[in-house]
This record gives sequence, structure tokens and C-alpha cells, in this order.
Amino acid sequence: MENFIFYIIAGVTIASALMALTIRNLFHCALFLAVTMFGISGVFLYLNSDFLASVQVLIYVGAVTVIIIFGISLTRNMMDERTKAMNHQFLFSIVAAVVLTLIILGGIRESSFLGSEHPLSLVVSSVGAANSDVAQSTTDGSGSGRPFQGGAAYLGGVLLKPENGFAFAFEFVSVLLLSALIGAIVIARKEPS
Amino acid sequence: MNNVPLVHFLYLAAVLFGIGIFGVLARKNAISVLMGIELMLNAVNINFLAFARYWNWNSLTGPVFVIFVITIAAAEAAVALAIIISIHRQFRTSNIDDAHYLHG
Repeated sequence: MENFIFYIIAGVTIASALMALTIRNLFHCALFLAVTMFGISGVFLYLNSDFLASVQVLIYVGAVTVIIIFGISLTRNMMDERTKAMNHQFLFSIVAAVVLTLIILGGIRESSFLGSEHPLSLVVSSVGAANSDVAQSTTDGSGSGRPFQGGAAYLGGVLLKPENGFAFAFEFVSVLLLSALIGAIVIARKEPS
Repeated sequence: MNNVPLVHFLYLAAVLFGIGIFGVLARKNAISVLMGIELMLNAVNINFLAFARYWNWNSLTGPVFVIFVITIAAAEAAVALAIIISIHRQFRTSNIDDAHYLHG
């Protein structure tokens, strides 16, 4: 039953991604992209990453889609009904994308390290055991014992503890975000005449 | 606990990546190209999380990488839309094939 829901989510995600990149109306494209991002956040939930799933909804559905809709409405007057949505390399693009996807799918299928002999079921069953630990470790709230690895507090601790090696990258990416936002403002600003 | 095999997550990510490639290559409008890039980044995020969850449950490198990818994708979207608006102001177009000022 749970697997069935995963395949429904995957199907909706793929279908809306296809719609988002093939239909003509750009505004509808952005809305289909939001549906795709919701589906991907559902996939994240299947991977036991509740924090990242909520981050996905907040950032992609809440922020990036809104930014894209702003961009569409700021450049809207160029989208008249006669212009085609695809450029002249449409057929070549279909061939390239399909061939690349088939190569990746074939590589996944053929790869020996993903065979049925891999102790995947063992890993999954240990994941299940970890989940049963979660109920205990989250109730006492002290973080002792086995912590829930997808939890926001644990993830933040891992990011900021200096001995884990992520602290510098974390601070650096915040500087990058700030400079990117300042750069975006400077680029989009109207030139003083 | 779900028992979806790891390869199905990888299949999903590969198909999404292919759709994103198609959008980047075939769409005329620059905003659609940006949507394709976002889709490709999200497909990679699915791969990161799937491998992190199924192969090394205790490692948090995968989720941390996903956080960094999401952050950089957000910054990239902001800068890309600023560039698109600037191109629109300069050339009165949002078709990226028309913005060939550097083409000579």
C-alpha cells in the first residue's frame, strides 16, 4: 500500500514535470512546476527526510515558484499567441534527452553494485529498526541514544559542529546567498539615466 | 516502513533529469530554461537522499549536500531572473536565441 502511494507520487511528479516543460502558457508552466516540487517533497518524505521535505515546500513551492511567476509577469508582453514554445532544435532535443535518459536508466539497471545481491533488504530492515528507535529517542527529547537522523535539530547540529567539517561551508554558503541577492538587485536595477 | 527499492528512486531521478535536459535544450523562453535547470537540480537531490538513506544510514553527508544544493539553486534562480529581466529591458525579448549580442 505504501509502495503504491510512492508510485502514484512518482507518476504525478513525472507527468507534471512533462507538462511544465512542454505546454505553451508560461503561467501554467510555473503552476505545474509547483506541483512537481510538491511531488518531489513527497519523495523526500519517503526517504525519511521530513525536514528536507518541508524545506522543499518552503523554498521551491513558496519562493522559487513565486519568483518565477514574478519574472513571467515582468516579461509578459513578449509572450503573444503566435510565438512557438520550442526553438528550432526541438527534435534534436527530444532525441538527446531520451537517449541520455535511456543511458542513465540502462546504467542503473546494469550496475553490479545495485544488484539484488546487495544487502539492500538488510539496510532497509535496519532503517526500520532505526525508525522504531525514533519513537523512543524523540519522546525523551534529550537526544541521547540513537538520534533521528532526518530531524532538523540533529541536522543543524551536524552542520554547525566544527569537527564535522561543514561549518565553514555553511558560513560560506550564507555569504554566497547574500552576495547573490545583492548581485540580483544590482543586475535587475534600472540604469540611472 | 516502506520497502520501495533504491533503484526506483534512481529511475525517478533519471527521468526527471531527462525532462529537465529536454526543457533546457528545447524551450525558447529563458524562464522555461530556468525551470528545466531547477528540475535537474531536484533530480540530483533525490539521488543524494536516496543513496544517503539506503546505503549509509548514519552518514549525513547526503542531506547536508541537499541543503547546499537547495541554497545554491535559490541563489541561482534569483540571479538568473535578474539577468532575464535585464535582457528583457535591453533587447525587448525573453527568447534566449535573440540575445546574441556577444555572438559577433
